[in-house]
Amino acid sequence: MAEKPGIALFQCQWCLFSPADQDWVDNHLPSNIYLTKTPCTGRINPLYVLNAIQGGADGVMISGCLPEQCHFVTGNITARRQLEEFNDFLNHIGYEKQRVRFVWLDLQDRCMIQKELAAFEKELKCLGKAANLVTRMKVAEGEQNA
Amino acid sequence: MPDIEVIKAEAKRLLSEGMVEVVLAFKAGETPLHPQPAFFRTPDDVDELVYSSLNQNNLATYLTRLPKESKVGMVVRGCENRSVNALVVEKQKSRDNLYLIGVPCEGILDWRKIVAKVGEAVKSVNESEQEVMVESRSGYYLVERKELLHDSCMRCSHPNPVSADILIGEPLAESDSNLAREAVEEFEALSVKERYAWFRKEAERCIRCYACREACPMCYCTECFVDHIEPRWTESGATPAGMQAWHIVRAFHQTGRCTSCGACERACPMDIKMTYLTEKLNHDMKEKYNFETGLDAQTKPPFATVTLDDKNRFMV
Repeated sequence: MAEKPGIALFQCQWCLFSPADQDWVDNHLPSNIYLTKTPCTGRINPLYVLNAIQGGADGVMISGCLPEQCHFVTGNITARRQLEEFNDFLNHIGYEKQRVRFVWLDLQDRCMIQKELAAFEKELKCLGKAANLVTRMKVAEGEQNA
Repeated sequence: MPDIEVIKAEAKRLLSEGMVEVVLAFKAGETPLHPQPAFFRTPDDVDELVYSSLNQNNLATYLTRLPKESKVGMVVRGCENRSVNALVVEKQKSRDNLYLIGVPCEGILDWRKIVAKVGEAVKSVNESEQEVMVESRSGYYLVERKELLHDSCMRCSHPNPVSADILIGEPLAESDSNLAREAVEEFEALSVKERYAWFRKEAERCIRCYACREACPMCYCTECFVDHIEPRWTESGATPAGMQAWHIVRAFHQTGRCTSCGACERACPMDIKMTYLTEKLNHDMKEKYNFETGLDAQTKPPFATVTLDDKNRFMV
């Protein structure tokens, strides 16, 4: 695959404690990674994940805090129950399970998100471009979605 | 089959004693294949009440459309009873305002299978325990009951109402609960490509009429995610992305809430298969959280009961 796989990154705004990491995610992400910052992983509706997949993302990465470190106490566990089941469900109807990945980030960790993204990108390269479920109409810049 | 006269007598008693304002049940429809849901408000109305295995709808759908405080009597089968329980758990109706006349269900006869078997213009359907006698324009047909059962009724493991106030008829034997699991596993044994091809073939026939949503007792939101205009969650037209998103998210919103009554599938004008989606979710809920919808009126579905104990399962 000549092109780099497109990754939709859903990031909980609390999970990157180190300002350097957060700055990297906010300002220096590679162009193949599309960032959506959320107040908590619990805010990520399965529909967002589905929209990313239908819009042509080759992989979806969801990064959140470790259990017991959630800013909202159980937000990440809630999200994990739902999104894990959603992933199983997508797999049931023909979407490769490996294309959705969850990462727990410890508040003590530094430079983990870069490593995780690189590993995920490597795996996605092996999988190739996503074909199933990519059905969303392309929208021109500035145009309203149908 | 339960005695229809006993059901009628009970419904009349409820109405005449003023225990309920309305009794939900079926009355004869315009064609013999489609008895229609009816609201009986006076004891005299009850004479029209019918009960047969052709009652396609899930009556619990109408509970959320009646005023919340109204007292309602209902003739319920196993799946309807579980849907009622699920609605009570979600605080859509108080159990005190309900009176459930329970009927053990021998399975719903799928009207599509009857039409496929004997052709259009069915004049009458008479059923016994094992066989169904269908009279159509081309003659009489004696068909085995099993051949005409709806797919989800063939997999049903709780035919008896679980929390009815009165049970009419003899309770049936609980059947094998592995049937649903086998159906899911059979589908999962296919390759990713085949599964997607099947899903696509089914989903892309959709005309976005939302009959499945209207038939479902658990789809009671006043504004559905597909009706949202700002922000637009999904493509709202009959486009491939819109149709697929509708099928995926409609089913996913039923996680831990679906009772596998199959009303969505029977309501679909395009004969789209949908229960293979919800069966998978039910199967997962049972495997992961040991939860089955509607077996009692207290247990909350897994997505509503989150504990930190989960972390052990997710920390890999």
